[in-house]
Amino acid sequence: MTQYASASVRETILQILAERKLGPAGEHDPLFSSGLLDSLAATEVLIQLESEYGVDLSDEDFDISRIDTLHSLEEMIEAQPGPRPG
Amino acid sequence: MADDYNIASGFVSSALRFPEHLFLADSLNSFSYGQMYSQAAQLAGHLSASGRPKRVGILGTRSVEAYAGVLAAAIAGAAYVPLNLKWPPQRIAELLGVLDLDALIVDANGASLLTEAVLASAPAIIVVADKAAPLSPVPGQTITRFGEMDAQPLAQPVPVGPDDLAYIIFTSGTTGTPKGVMISAGSLASYVEESRPWTQLTPDDRLAETCDLTFDLSVHNLFLAAEAGASLHILTPLDMLAPARFLRARDITVWMSVPTLAATMRKAGALKPGIFPHLRLSIFCGEPLPASLAKAWADATVGGRVENIYGPTEGTVICMRHTLTEPPLTTGERGILAIGTPYETMTVAILDAQQKPVPDGLPGEIALSGPQLAQGYLNASPEQDARFCILDGQRWYLTGDLGMRDENGVFHHLGRTDNQVKVKGNRIELEEVEAHLRRACDSDGVAVVAWPLLDGVPQGLVGFCTSALTPEQITDALLTTLPRYMVPEPVHVVATLPVNINGKVDRRALIDRLVHEQAAPATARNLEHTSEGKP
Repeated sequence: MTQYASASVRETILQILAERKLGPAGEHDPLFSSGLLDSLAATEVLIQLESEYGVDLSDEDFDISRIDTLHSLEEMIEAQPGPRPG
Repeated sequence: MADDYNIASGFVSSALRFPEHLFLADSLNSFSYGQMYSQAAQLAGHLSASGRPKRVGILGTRSVEAYAGVLAAAIAGAAYVPLNLKWPPQRIAELLGVLDLDALIVDANGASLLTEAVLASAPAIIVVADKAAPLSPVPGQTITRFGEMDAQPLAQPVPVGPDDLAYIIFTSGTTGTPKGVMISAGSLASYVEESRPWTQLTPDDRLAETCDLTFDLSVHNLFLAAEAGASLHILTPLDMLAPARFLRARDITVWMSVPTLAATMRKAGALKPGIFPHLRLSIFCGEPLPASLAKAWADATVGGRVENIYGPTEGTVICMRHTLTEPPLTTGERGILAIGTPYETMTVAILDAQQKPVPDGLPGEIALSGPQLAQGYLNASPEQDARFCILDGQRWYLTGDLGMRDENGVFHHLGRTDNQVKVKGNRIELEEVEAHLRRACDSDGVAVVAWPLLDGVPQGLVGFCTSALTPEQITDALLTTLPRYMVPEPVHVVATLPVNINGKVDRRALIDRLVHEQAAPATARNLEHTSEGKP
């Protein structure tokens, strides 16, 4: 089993996909820009990034396009200092 | 040329003047005026292969294909009809069945909605983005990729008269079907003429596009930017969640959005003083604009102007405007900005229930008259048509908005006269959602209320019904016929619905129930899940 730095937010995304009967997503599949998931789902992801991973969403350098794939999320969280739940 | 109302003329003359200048940038690509012109001319040629098309559907938004579709339809002399990607395929198929389109332009996201049923109701000519997955046309239909078109380009916009249709944009409707508002080329020309002096766009302006093509604020940005040679910068749905960074990264000079978007940014701490040094003009529309939010936004710019604008789709985008002043001119105790004064060409009246003008200072229904009035609704029922009426020999549109004119002649917005609400910029008629809920729960006992309210502004919908089904089954059924933003969440299955003295469902009592539930400690756990702000 791969240990993901983004394990808990990844689980959230896969759970939302399952709830909406959308099936699993590949590492590089665009989740939001493709219209697969909506802004409500994105908000859930953002709240989790902020509360669990300490990502500062109001930071001018925060690049929101990086939450668009599981791969870029993992990259972003790996580069993030601080606690890693999950 | 003065008699030609082709709505693409401004774009084409800019493309000839500034072919190298940036026209459109989305998240991945940039397109110059020249590139967009050749794409649109090619597509216009394809659409005109068997004569001038009348109506062209756009199943797409926030993409180069969608914008090329709008401009191509315009060059070819057709009305464009944007279709909302948030609508379920069933609703799109129904609309296609009545729209009588000559062609349909589809971007990559739109292509995923081309189910068999949608294709069966779609017109004979379909053009799809190169990236779309393979599609099977029905007999008599041709599906062409953007990259495959080989028709002779149509470079010169065809002559259009003032009464020819420019576009049809859909709004919410009471019967469970959206209403198609038909705007003529003459109305749009009048709108652009009146909007030019106060926006004063130049080729150096960089406009942020926060709206889908199905929202008519996009009409303002597209046609004013195109005639000025300015550039449009399209926010992706993700950019919409963190717009401050987008604004800074693109050096945006002109911003337009619903106030909710600004409120989200303010809550996230993004509206720091002076953070938007390039922003010279900020325009808010579609919802009440709290004065404190307008001021916080103005402070985030460096000497930028803030405008609150008002108008229904039926009056061509907007027809009233108010510039933020110091101190702000607010509407009574509501803390929201005035909606200002009408465009010079438009007449605005405040009418009582008998359609007689009320004196200044008293509330009544806002009514509009003038060259920006829509031709009417597509395939309208008599009830819908009654919103357009003749009073004293003049044609008026009754907005359904409550308003008041103060002693200085400035207008104020006081809410909706009926149960039409705005939730996050989407206009929703509660009766429409109830009509769908009634079908979904297989019961007559239904009610939908706008809830919760934040500063009196609805943030969502809550449904109530008497039904043998579970809330989950009902929600699933609703999602097949309504876009997600119109589906109440949650849907409560109840034993009985409260009724008022006339025996009608009492929405007020339902809202009171929600107020009590929110205050009760038993629901504290639920509130945790909607926590706001930073940990």
